[in-house]
Amino acid sequence: MIDFVFVALSICAIAGGGTMVLHKNPIYCAVGLLISVLSVAGLFALLSATFMFMVQIIVYAGAIMTIILFLLMFLNIKEQDLPPEPKKNILVAMGVILMIPINLLVLEGVSRLEDSDMSIVEEGFGGIKELGMKLYTDWLLPFELISILLLVALVGAVVLAKKREKRGVKNG
Amino acid sequence: MASLTGYATVSMILFSLGAIGVVSRRNVFVIYMSIELMLNGINLFLVTFARYHFNMDGQILSMMVIAIAAAEAAIFLSVIILLFRTKKSLDTDIFTELKQEVE
Repeated sequence: MIDFVFVALSICAIAGGGTMVLHKNPIYCAVGLLISVLSVAGLFALLSATFMFMVQIIVYAGAIMTIILFLLMFLNIKEQDLPPEPKKNILVAMGVILMIPINLLVLEGVSRLEDSDMSIVEEGFGGIKELGMKLYTDWLLPFELISILLLVALVGAVVLAKKREKRGVKNG
Repeated sequence: MASLTGYATVSMILFSLGAIGVVSRRNVFVIYMSIELMLNGINLFLVTFARYHFNMDGQILSMMVIAIAAAEAAIFLSVIILLFRTKKSLDTDIFTELKQEVE
């Protein structure tokens, strides 16, 4: 049963990613990425990371993908605004050829690790309580640094988005 | 199928698709989404090894990656809006303001 769910979610994730790389229209690309992100959330649930499953759905599928789709509709992109990509298929093929050795190297290394039980843990792993305990004791400093980073990003987005007066351009 | 190698294969394929998208596309939006796909593949790898070693540090690292991706989304998308307003295009080859003129 778990194998069947795993295969279905993997196929959805890879198909969504492939759609995103190959499709011309950015709206379809965003929908492909959304499918891929949701499938990865399902894989997190299979790995008994319940809190990560929740965070992935809320932050990625809920916040980031909504901003992307909102922006795509806000900018009202027409067909002539899209860049021409005449060499896309050749570049994708070259990228595939380049990435295959790296994949094989990593998978060779991973397959030499001894196999262990990857079944779903019932309790005491990956839930919000255990993760919170770990986050606020061992990982307190990185957590605070992340909050400062988010604050800086907030200020940066406001500064970038505000209206600025036109300056005279010197020397052309 | 749902073994360590299976999960690693899926995450490496997702990462490779993202890398291929970054190098082969010229649309700024698709490049941004490819970066997100690469981060997703790495997150899956981290969570897989967290389950393999029965240790939750990997899950916390992957949560931090998600937080950084959210910060990146705010900055990247506002920069895309500014670029689209000034140039009316999404083509990365047009954004050459900082290029040095070769004489």
